[in-house]
Amino acid sequence: MSKFNFPSIKETNDLSNLRKEVRNFITKSLNHKEFEPSADAWVFSASPEFSKKLGSMGWLGMSFPKKYGGNERTALERYVVTEELLASGAPVAAHWIADRQSGSQILRYGNEEQKKSIIPKITAGECFFAIGMSEPDSGSDLASVKTKATKIENGWKLEGRKIWSTGAHIANYMIVLVRTSPASENNRHEGLSQFLVDLSLPNVNVKGIPDMTGQRHFNETLFDNVILSEDALLGVEGKGWSQVVGELALERSGPERFLSHFTLLESFINEFKNILIKSGSKLIGKLIAELQTLRRMSFSIASMLQNGESPETQAAFVKELGNKFEKTMVETLREFSSIIPLYEWPSKLQNLFEDATLRIPSNSLRGGTTEIMKGIIARQLGLR
Amino acid sequence: MNEELGIILETTSKILNKHVDHKLRQNIDNDNSDLINLWDEIEQLGLPKIAVKDKFNGSGLTLLTTLPIIKLSNNIGAPIPLSETILSNYILSESDINPPSGIITYAIDVKNLKIIGNEISGELISVPYLNLTDKVVVITEIKKTKKVILIKNSGKEKELKKNFLSEPRYNLKLNKCKILDMKPINLRINFKHLGAIVRSAQMIGSMEKILDLCIDYCSQRKQFGRALSKFQAIQHQISEMAVELSASSAALSTITNSDDFYKNKKDIAILKIRAGAAAGKVIAISHQVHGAIGFTQEYELAYFTRNLNSWRNDFGNESYWEDLLGKDFLENNNQNLWEYLT
Repeated sequence: MSKFNFPSIKETNDLSNLRKEVRNFITKSLNHKEFEPSADAWVFSASPEFSKKLGSMGWLGMSFPKKYGGNERTALERYVVTEELLASGAPVAAHWIADRQSGSQILRYGNEEQKKSIIPKITAGECFFAIGMSEPDSGSDLASVKTKATKIENGWKLEGRKIWSTGAHIANYMIVLVRTSPASENNRHEGLSQFLVDLSLPNVNVKGIPDMTGQRHFNETLFDNVILSEDALLGVEGKGWSQVVGELALERSGPERFLSHFTLLESFINEFKNILIKSGSKLIGKLIAELQTLRRMSFSIASMLQNGESPETQAAFVKELGNKFEKTMVETLREFSSIIPLYEWPSKLQNLFEDATLRIPSNSLRGGTTEIMKGIIARQLGLR
Repeated sequence: MNEELGIILETTSKILNKHVDHKLRQNIDNDNSDLINLWDEIEQLGLPKIAVKDKFNGSGLTLLTTLPIIKLSNNIGAPIPLSETILSNYILSESDINPPSGIITYAIDVKNLKIIGNEISGELISVPYLNLTDKVVVITEIKKTKKVILIKNSGKEKELKKNFLSEPRYNLKLNKCKILDMKPINLRINFKHLGAIVRSAQMIGSMEKILDLCIDYCSQRKQFGRALSKFQAIQHQISEMAVELSASSAALSTITNSDDFYKNKKDIAILKIRAGAAAGKVIAISHQVHGAIGFTQEYELAYFTRNLNSWRNDFGNESYWEDLLGKDFLENNNQNLWEYLT
């Protein structure tokens, strides 16, 4: 039962002050027209300049050790900063993956050289990452990956392809999950390893895949016998599965699982507040209740991460509930258009709404599908 | 305090597990000696007056500390008015009325109430467990002042209103019934808020039990040559229940962790909305995965789901609290939504 518990964590004054500091920074950036708030900004809206600025404020790699250029702040402080950035629709896509999971993965499993050379750059907002998990024939069934690394003299030879690699076209590195030895008959999770691959190496080819909205963030990344040095191996050879499971907890539990389209909700309420007071308080109350519950759960997970726990199951709860909330939210706004027709909404709001409507099916696919989340929970319940 | 609570929880658990079985739930009347024995042990442990002030011979704990006990009692499915008695005694004590001993219940919905001298007449609606006690705390407004009125029912005109509820509820006509004590309510306290928190804790305790029942049943029951739990369609439904339950527990944890829950209208609203919505899904899914056996009286699932049906409507259903929460944000604030949430 403990896996279902989300102990309540209070926001201290220090955290509230940090929140204000980030909020002021964002207001200034908006006043200087440094960015335009957008929906799903952590996937779609990349600005290396903005990322660099966040780095200079000390808001990237927040919990990383000072030894590697980090800020040694807590996971709760990082949570507050990411929430503020997401809620404002700021362009955080460039550094998102590096800051959320790749940096921590390197700190946890990397060797000294890897940490020294990469972590300071992530913290400065100058080094971006893409995720190297899915393949054309391996999606939800991640253990079936076929990309392989073969031991050669002084290094490894990498062969295969990764797909849906969001942001690989602007990323410097990808942490690639590969087979280094065949799966044993009764354990498919054996023989997998993670590699830290410099995407500027020869024979790495990143090809864009336009998504259904016509935008580019997806890529297919081909590795055509890429020669890797010995120290490209991340962590322990053959232990890639347990490493990647920890990475997924970082990927699934954060506030981007329910705040991706918050700018839409906020703009909608600001625009129609007078009408909502008369006929929409129930709708808004329902959304507030769910959103606030999700914030508490995700904040609670940040505290578990801070305590060194591995909340993989709790992360699945947040992702599942967060995805559902976002879908319900967009649907609630759609139904409201029977009161004020869409064509009478201000054009910026219309755009946010249309973007959200088109992008919302992807929220329960990326980072693990609904079916996978429910499977993880079922396993925890002892049903599998 | 934590250690003390731990001991109380352990002892309560022992007592309840010793006495409660599904047979007991099917005969909750005051001629059932098993039920009386159970209540006597609960009374000896001091639970009814656990949140009553020291000066009235109570344990003087806060109402928040009683929530784990109430949750436990409904997780075991004890068919006793524990939460009703704790709440009634608490409101009496806080309003400076010495709580009587034994079982006591409350009435918050009333019709045509009239007080003349020391006597009260009118109708009390949907009073829980009136079969087990004659003592009722009526909480109502008299001449624009909220009052707490302690009465002893003379018991002639009560009408059982069981409906879909597992717990007995009664409508009661009072005809010049004697008032034992009457005081203005402690203004710090909103009884509806307290009730919403307590009912939510009860729902969560019951939903935890229902989840366990579903897991046990689906792991044992075989169809098409394998356990139901091995079907992905079943696994996903039960997972959804767990998700709903975890969200409700998180909302409860926010309340139990707050210093001043009296003023915390927002979080109380969120808790009742979240637990009520979860209850709806849990009722539907648990019956779906149980099939026909869950639809019988002999199997215990329905005892718990019927209670959920009742409690999610008590002290304001989801719509009530959603409207209140939405208005709290839309009307009373110059804040945008993000400022309101943070």
